[in-house]
Formats: sequence, C-alpha cells, structure tokens
Amino acid sequence: MFVDIDAFQHKKHNQNAYGDYFASKRTQGRIIVVLSDGLGSGIKANILSCMTATMLLKFIEAGYDIQKACEIIMNSLPVCKVRKISYSTFSAVDCREDGTALIAEEGNPKFIWTRKGNILDTQAYIVTSKIFLNRQMQIYNIKLEPLDRLIFCSDGATHAGLGTKDLKMGLGRNGVIGFVLNRLCDNPDISSRELSKSAADFALSVEEGKKAKDDISVVSIYMRNPRRALVFTGPPYRDSQDGFYANAFKNFNGKKAICGGTTANVISRELNIPVRSKILFHSGSLPNLMEMDGVDLVTEGILTLTRALEYLEYPPYDTPEDAAGRLVKFFLESDCIDFMVGAKFNPSHYDPSLPVELEIRKNVVKKISKLLEEKYIKKVTLQYI
Amino acid sequence: MKTIEVKICLGTSCYIMGSSYLQELADIMPSKFSGRVNIIGHNCLGQCMSQGEKSNPPYVQIDDEILDGATIEKVLEYIEKKL
Repeated sequence: MFVDIDAFQHKKHNQNAYGDYFASKRTQGRIIVVLSDGLGSGIKANILSCMTATMLLKFIEAGYDIQKACEIIMNSLPVCKVRKISYSTFSAVDCREDGTALIAEEGNPKFIWTRKGNILDTQAYIVTSKIFLNRQMQIYNIKLEPLDRLIFCSDGATHAGLGTKDLKMGLGRNGVIGFVLNRLCDNPDISSRELSKSAADFALSVEEGKKAKDDISVVSIYMRNPRRALVFTGPPYRDSQDGFYANAFKNFNGKKAICGGTTANVISRELNIPVRSKILFHSGSLPNLMEMDGVDLVTEGILTLTRALEYLEYPPYDTPEDAAGRLVKFFLESDCIDFMVGAKFNPSHYDPSLPVELEIRKNVVKKISKLLEEKYIKKVTLQYI
Repeated sequence: MKTIEVKICLGTSCYIMGSSYLQELADIMPSKFSGRVNIIGHNCLGQCMSQGEKSNPPYVQIDDEILDGATIEKVLEYIEKKL
C-alpha cells in the first residue's frame, strides 16, 4: 500500500503565521506524521508548534518508540503561566506500508478513521503524565486496510463556526465527519491533497464572515494503491541500449513523461511512434509541449526541468499552464515517481556563446527528486542509463 | 497550389538561441503567403548534436532543407524564394 498524505491549513484571521504545524517524513516502508497546535496564535504559536512537531518527528525517526517519544514531549512541554495549560498539543502517527499504525494524541481532537464510507472506532490506551497529572495521552494501535483513510485536525477545525446562528457549539468532530463522508461519497478516490483542502475550506466557510477564529489544519492519510509515474529524460549513454530502454519505457505500467527533444526522438525512432507537434502557441518562456501516442506528457528537457524545479521549490499561487507547470502537475498527481536519466549529453548545451547558462541534467533531476521526496512526500527512484 | 512546411526546432539550444521568437512567424506571416505556409514546432531536428562545434542554432526545416542561424527575416526570404 502507498500512504498518500497531505495537509491543508488556514491561518487565524489577521495573523501572518500559522499557529499549527504539520511535519512528516517518509522513510523505508514507513511514514511519520506529526500535527501540533501551538498555544495562542501567530508567531508565538507557530514557534511552539514547530518546536513540538519537529522534536517529535526527530525522536520517532531516530528510532524511539512513538509512545516513549510522545511521553518525553508530554512531560517536558512547559505550562503557560496565564492559562495554566501546556504550550502545545499534538497528534503523532507512525504508519507502515503494511497497514499497521501507531497513533498518539495529546490535546488534539480524536482522529477520524473511515473504511468504505463508514466510521470505525477504536479504544485508546491512556498514558498519564507522571509530572503533570492533568495531562493524558491516548495511544492507538490500529491495522489499516487498503483504501482506509485517517483524518487528523486541529481544534480550529472542530470549533469552526462556534457561536454562529447555525452552529452554536461549532462544527464539532461530528460536523467534520459528516463533511468527510459526504465528500467521499461524491468522490471515493479523492486524493489526500484535495480532501484535506476541501475539509479545511469547509471549516473556514462556516466561520462567521469566513474569518477563522483559530488556526485550522486538516491532515489526511489515504492507504491506496500507488499511482506510478515514469519520467524519461536524456538519451542513454550507449546508443546500443536505446532499444532496451525505449522498450522498458513502453512496458512501464503507469503514467509516462518524456523530458527532452532528443530523448523523444530516440523513443520515437525505437518504438516507431511519431512525435507530433501541437499547434504553436506562446506558452510563457518555455518551448511548447509535444504529443506522442501512449505518452502522457512530452516536453523539452533542461529548460523545462529547471523551471519545474523552481515551481517545486517556490510554488507559485497558481501553477502556470506552461510545460513546467504541466510537469509539476504530473509529479504531484503521482505517488511513486521513477526517473530514467540518460547520461548522454549534448555538447551544444555547453557552448560558451549561449546566452543563458544551462544546468546539468543529472543535477537538476537530483534536486527535483530530493524536493519530491522531502517536501512533497513522494517515493522517488533514480536510474542512470 | 504549392504549400511549404516550416518546422521550427524547439530543442533546448535552438530555443535559447532564438527559436522562441521564430514562433511569432505564424502571427506576422504576410498575407501573400496565407494558406501556403504551414508552420509547426518540432521537438528537436537533431542538428545541434550532429553538427557538433559547427552547430549554428536556431534551425528551421523548410520542406526538406535545413536553414541554420535562422531569423524571421531569413525564413521569410527563403519562403519567398521557394514560392
């Protein structure tokens, strides 16, 4: 199973920083997710939640048992002198690809677990802090099945709408459940990215004047069959291997993209599939897309990859419709991305008289794959050919 | 009526050496050529690889002939000659 995970947040109205913090890390066959809600809002809450989430993630990643790691944090979180409550709350999940998941929660709303349109419930094992007797942590050990989902949210989501005419007591956990189940009924295959965004947007929409009274965060985990994608960029180092790799590309089971004019020519020649040009149009400052039967995306190589790297690093508010924007969309709509990186280089790209400096393909792909892994939590493999 | 196919190379070297501007050809084509010139983009005409250090992008293929160091003026002149 592939663990599809994403989160979406809204800031408290008039604040310039998020008071909730979401962090995750994918390691071999396992994903660790932490959502922390810092006391108060704005920068102060941001620092508190960021520290809590980051420390927890590091502890669990370093091999601490989730219960032990969370206990250390629970016992060490300072108490706010004014409100007499801890500086932050948290939910932590250690989820394996075989479906086993260990969940620890302290202070956050209880997670939501869905299976085939129904809500599942499970009993918690309670751990009380030995230092702060009013602090309790719930530990859950559950077994997820394919297509199960877990939703975590901060109290900003469950309290959304509090005091309004229609929702005097706020949305509540049941309100979030109702929305999620409806959404899943309309679109059972919805990605974690879309589900978390729509749930957070919904919570914001029930707030008076659509102004969030607290930070709203929704984290979605979806155990699904992975969406595989293959990107072929650069011609193979040895011409004699062109046929072999072109066939490997053809036989790949998943979405396919080619980044590179020469690469497209090589695959076209070996598989006898023509590359068709689309009608010329001005697509920003990048070469247009091409078309090939059986290939989902065909772009130019290094300029497009370099721009896609920029978009991944500093995401524009709306991803442009140019070739790089389409490539980024291709990446983000996949879970497991394999890169076949041809090692043959085109000497004309290193002509010193070129007006722009071209990056080295291998380096750009390495940076893209690192970002996809670390920032976008994708599973990436690189194969140099 | 004779028509001409103009393929503009949109490979990396060609693109940064000026084929991005050649895409405007379709917009500025003189009316006397209208309906007689078919302008399309091409992923890579392969010239930069094969010409090595003699390479002179951007390349444009007009029917079966390759034009190097192509500019809008050069391409229009070439079309004029062919028609």
